[in-house]
Amino acid sequence: MNYIATIEGREIKVTVEEVGAARYRVTGEGKEHLVDAHQVQDSVWSVLYGTDSFEVDIQGRDEEYEVLIDGDCYKFSLMNEQRKALTRAGGKSAAGKALVTSPMPGKVVKLLVAEGEQVQADQGVIVVEAMKMENELKSAVTGTVKEVFVKDGEVVESGAKLILVE
Amino acid sequence: MFRKILIANRGEIAVRVVRACQEMGIRTVAVYSEVDRHALHVRCADEAHLIGPPPAGESYLVIDKIIDAAKRSGAEAIHPGYGFLAENPVFAERCEKEGVKLIGPSAHAMRTMGSKTLARKTVQAAGVPVVPGTVDPIATEEEVFRVAGEIGFPIMLKATAGGGGKGLRLVRGEEDLRSSLRMAKSEAKSAFSDDSVYIEKYIENPRHVEIQILGDRHGNYVHLGERECSIQRRHQKVIEESPSVVITPQVRAAMGKVAIDAGRAADYEGVGTVEFLVDKDVNFYFLEMNTRLQVEHPVTEMVTGVDIVKEQIRIAAGEKLSLRQEDVKQTGHAIECRVYAEDPDRNFMPCPGPITSLRTPGGPGVRDDSGVFEGFEIPIYYDPIISKLVVWGKDRQEAIARMKRALGEYIVTGVKTTIPFHIRVMNNQHFLEGNFDTNFIDKVFFREERERELPHFHVAVIAAAIQLFADERKQAVARRPVEAGEPASLWKYSSRPGMPKFR
Repeated sequence: MNYIATIEGREIKVTVEEVGAARYRVTGEGKEHLVDAHQVQDSVWSVLYGTDSFEVDIQGRDEEYEVLIDGDCYKFSLMNEQRKALTRAGGKSAAGKALVTSPMPGKVVKLLVAEGEQVQADQGVIVVEAMKMENELKSAVTGTVKEVFVKDGEVVESGAKLILVE
Repeated sequence: MFRKILIANRGEIAVRVVRACQEMGIRTVAVYSEVDRHALHVRCADEAHLIGPPPAGESYLVIDKIIDAAKRSGAEAIHPGYGFLAENPVFAERCEKEGVKLIGPSAHAMRTMGSKTLARKTVQAAGVPVVPGTVDPIATEEEVFRVAGEIGFPIMLKATAGGGGKGLRLVRGEEDLRSSLRMAKSEAKSAFSDDSVYIEKYIENPRHVEIQILGDRHGNYVHLGERECSIQRRHQKVIEESPSVVITPQVRAAMGKVAIDAGRAADYEGVGTVEFLVDKDVNFYFLEMNTRLQVEHPVTEMVTGVDIVKEQIRIAAGEKLSLRQEDVKQTGHAIECRVYAEDPDRNFMPCPGPITSLRTPGGPGVRDDSGVFEGFEIPIYYDPIISKLVVWGKDRQEAIARMKRALGEYIVTGVKTTIPFHIRVMNNQHFLEGNFDTNFIDKVFFREERERELPHFHVAVIAAAIQLFADERKQAVARRPVEAGEPASLWKYSSRPGMPKFR
């Protein structure tokens, strides 16, 4: 199976084949690696890369990956090649990006915008409080506030839809 | 000695106090809010009392509810931990009135040390060095020049009514004094309707070093040496160690003496911490006194062997200190990392939520003062501290190597934690050299981190690709109808995301 990793704008094709139980042949940038990988604890994998042992915590969300190894956080996007092709065909679908969601469970402290209001990219649109800290969440795009899904004081879950900007 | 103690707190510090009580044969009473029914401190304690809804203002901070729980349980003393009611003189007075012993200093000592100006005046009268300057407003421009000349530049002009950085001016030399004074006064006037300012010497790139003291009601005091607390993020301590690389035995003895003088000046009883700013020439100046058990007390316990919480309980019970100054010996080196449920790769955004799996570090010289367990859901209402990881080593080098090793063993999934941040600090050259001050993390460390190359990008991408491959494979298998003669294995299914787990 082929995958496309995008690291700081650079695309790398990675091919994964299963060659035995939990053993994989991974090819990328002209190099071939034999990797033994076991999911050992929730999101944590024990990876034998050759014979080098790594503990790797893999967090993936909407093709955006954050991988922790030895205290370092590796951020990149990763997608199945076919899916990548589909996304390309669909053009830039900005709608998904324009939805402001809560990155954590918390309480809505303040709505900074109302429906119909114009906002700029990177403008704060809502303040969510968790653990005594207030966090201002920003709109990723410039546009109009299409819908506000929450009220002041409402308790929200992680990933809850807050505001849609179009 | 007390037979039963109520702990008016939650999380790791409540667990820490329960541990001390259990080892002393004292029964423990926990209090908990509605969201904390499953919390570790409730499970560890001998008794537990519900005290209200999740917000601290409706539970852990309500004096009536705490007193009521103490009465109902027959607790003879209350340990406040840190935070919540720990430095509240009204609570101290109420405990006294109700005949329940508060394990902490008197309301008078809390009030004296709780007020910046009163604390400064009190300790100054006892001969404790304070940051040179005036506390009272300065009337005339001539006087500003005279005082500035006396204490020497750089100086800070501060609004008497100040706060939030308004009316604050750093002045590096006499040539800027007149214009800075004018601006400070006008800022103070518009912000606080009061244009009076005072002068303080500006301590450049200070370290933050504090002294742990113990005092009993019989007038005996000892200090347990220093803790180096300069590793701070936005003025919050995140890593502490003892001893400090800049403190010599002579300076330690001098700081210890003035810390005890400061405590004595406030008739201090119990355990307390005197905080100092230390400049590049190792001059030290009183900053403030914390009239409670400190978060970072374990580093002192590791190098002195003194159980500070047990001492605190004995002092409250009226006993004499169990040790004299000459009995206090510092051995080796200890470091503490505060592990919070915060995402260090998203500007330390809080990450409450369930801990889906946990592997805590072990091995020689490692102590984890934790308030959580696998399956515990970190509530959104309180401080997001998970645990304090503390290590001891024969010297600083071994302690750092051990901390790095222990942090590597520490795995928490389900929530993001500051463990990766601590690993990065332990690898930082300035930290290894002991070359830092209170501005280090915000001004130096983050800049250096942005420029650092990450060594294992290929492993990260390959592992993620394998995970995605395995995921797609599982989904394909799950969608495929089960064919005759091929029973679905429960083992296979049980490990799939979204499938119920067999426990």
